[in-house]
Amino acid sequence: MKIAVCAKQIPDPANEVTYSDGIINRPEEQVLDDTDRYGIEVALQLKEKFDAEVTIISMGPSGTQKGLQQALQMGADKAIYVDDDSLKGSNSLMTANVLSELAKSLTADIVIFGTESTDGYSGTVPQQVSRFLDVECISYVKAIETGDNITLTRQTGEGSEKVNMPDKCVISVTAGGVEPRYPNFKDIMAAKSKSIEQIPLGELNIVTNQNLEFLNVESVESSKSGEKIIDEGEAYQEIVNKLKELKII
Amino acid sequence: MKTLIIGEVINKNLSSGTLEILGKAKSMELDVQLITVGSEDSPAIGLNEVKQTYLKRASSSFNFSKIASKISEIIKNEDIKLILGSSTYMCRDLISFISVDLNSSPVSNVVDFNLEDGKISTINSINGGESLYKAKINSDHSLLLIRPKAFDPVEIEVNSDYETIEVENTDLDVFDIYIEEKTGPQLEDSKVVISAGRGMVEKENLEMIETLANKLNAAIGGTRAIVDAGWMPYSQQVGQTGKTVKPDIYIACGISGATQHQVGMKDSKFVIAINKDEEAPIFQLADLGIVGDTLSVIPKLNENI
Ligand SMILES: Cc1cc2nc3c(=O)[nH]c(=O)nc-3n(C[C@H](O)[C@H](O)[C@H](O)COP(=O)(O)OP(=O)(O)OC[C@H]3O[C@@H](n4cnc5c(N)ncnc54)[C@H](O)[C@@H]3O)c2cc1C
Ligand SMILES: Nc1ncnc2c1ncn2[C@@H]1O[C@H](COP(=O)(O)O)[C@@H](O)[C@H]1O
Repeated sequence: MKIAVCAKQIPDPANEVTYSDGIINRPEEQVLDDTDRYGIEVALQLKEKFDAEVTIISMGPSGTQKGLQQALQMGADKAIYVDDDSLKGSNSLMTANVLSELAKSLTADIVIFGTESTDGYSGTVPQQVSRFLDVECISYVKAIETGDNITLTRQTGEGSEKVNMPDKCVISVTAGGVEPRYPNFKDIMAAKSKSIEQIPLGELNIVTNQNLEFLNVESVESSKSGEKIIDEGEAYQEIVNKLKELKII
Repeated sequence: MKTLIIGEVINKNLSSGTLEILGKAKSMELDVQLITVGSEDSPAIGLNEVKQTYLKRASSSFNFSKIASKISEIIKNEDIKLILGSSTYMCRDLISFISVDLNSSPVSNVVDFNLEDGKISTINSINGGESLYKAKINSDHSLLLIRPKAFDPVEIEVNSDYETIEVENTDLDVFDIYIEEKTGPQLEDSKVVISAGRGMVEKENLEMIETLANKLNAAIGGTRAIVDAGWMPYSQQVGQTGKTVKPDIYIACGISGATQHQVGMKDSKFVIAINKDEEAPIFQLADLGIVGDTLSVIPKLNENI
């Protein structure tokens, strides 16, 4: 079984985000998007059971490989990525086109994603890739059981359902579904000798175009200057008063 | 502009997200038709003056690739230019599939859009709601995934005057389809929402939240932390990967206020937060913040309401 996991390197979410010309400024060092750790974990569970090969695929700036390293430290076998100036600020369809081509180049059977990236959070790339690859998409997976069959439990709008995983498909994994593992010292050392390969964009069959023209980006000011009261036993009264004032009670 | 709204049926009615998009489309005087997707027989979804098709899935499974192909076919045949859906699980799948068929990237998390010189421009939320991004769509088709609560819903009169097309929906082996029962006030529609976080300490303590909710006729929500811990079903999760709510009053009990939670509640009109950590980010959003122990403040509230 060949598994590809799509994982994105992003600016550390702990730092403030800045933009130029509508594109998020990418610091020299970027980290693995936490959302993608869930997809990697699912891939590794399959690897342990079925002796699969797990390759990380990614699109993004080459100034950094830290995020890819972090993915390899978790236990993935190797990584391939595409980086090209023309892909800066790509829309989701372009991203999906590039990732699909990478998955094809690996002849991957199963392609695994997070459900939405922390920075872009379009939440559409996995489904788009499945369409490019012409396989089914099992989206919003929150649990995996590996017995005789591989059973995926997916979150649906109404509740949940189970699906027997077909031989070829795309899966997106919701955060919280599995518990991503932490690499130990040995894993971290082992990752150093794993291969990270850059694939030239020119080798891929790109059929989409950038249809979204950037106009403006601004940060949302969401802080309020509300009252803050330290409870010394009577603060509940403030809530009661407020609820009365707002005619809730 | 010829517009298609992809609607959703919930409990035989159009979902609130669908009504919100219809409201916006009406205010823009768009030439609208509606395709609703569902698995129930004869839902109450027909709208006066709106051409409507009901795509009935052959099973209640949640797999939409074939339905997407059907919709793409209709879009091409009828020369539709603008395609709108609510950011729900179903529409995210559908619009993503259709975007590949039409070779036009969608815009996700749209909070507003306009039509200027025949082109659609959108404002969408990125970075977990920390920034707003404005873009113009230059392709032949514009596909938008609209965030819930971005627009005011329309009042509608429903009828059963629509065409039904049955569509096969999956070759996958699907089983154990589970539909969560919905009881009590619903998160999306309630004027008061009380949400619990890990600061409720133990699952048993949610009883005091229920008592308070009964007194205030409120719906109950929660953070992902407690949904993951199994204290509450996923359908009650508020935030980026859960529901978006916009009640008159939101009471956050023992919630730290991570950005992923904030996206789902920050447009609430009045926010009350109870948290023992004075530095908790939720206080930046609170109109009334109580620095204190949930387990002592909430029981006193219950006694005094
Ligand atoms: C991709 C992604 C998507 C996510 N989507 C969502 C989402 O949709 N919704 C969501 O909610 N989260 C989401 N999260 C998770 C989010 O980042 C936070 O981890 C989560 O919201 C924290 O939940 P919490 O506030 O209950 O717990 P914590 O962050 O642990 O906070 C608990 C709070 O309770 C306080 N507290 C403890 N004891 C008491 C007490 N006795 N009295 C009063 N206060 C007390 C503490 O001071 C603390 O502030 C997502 C994360 C990722 C990576
Ligand atoms: N540039 C990228 N490189 C690798 N994977 C990506 C990239 N962008 C998106 N993905 C994958 O697609 C998922 C959903 O991302 P998005 O559609 O941006 O919300 C992520 O969790 C990743 O698995």
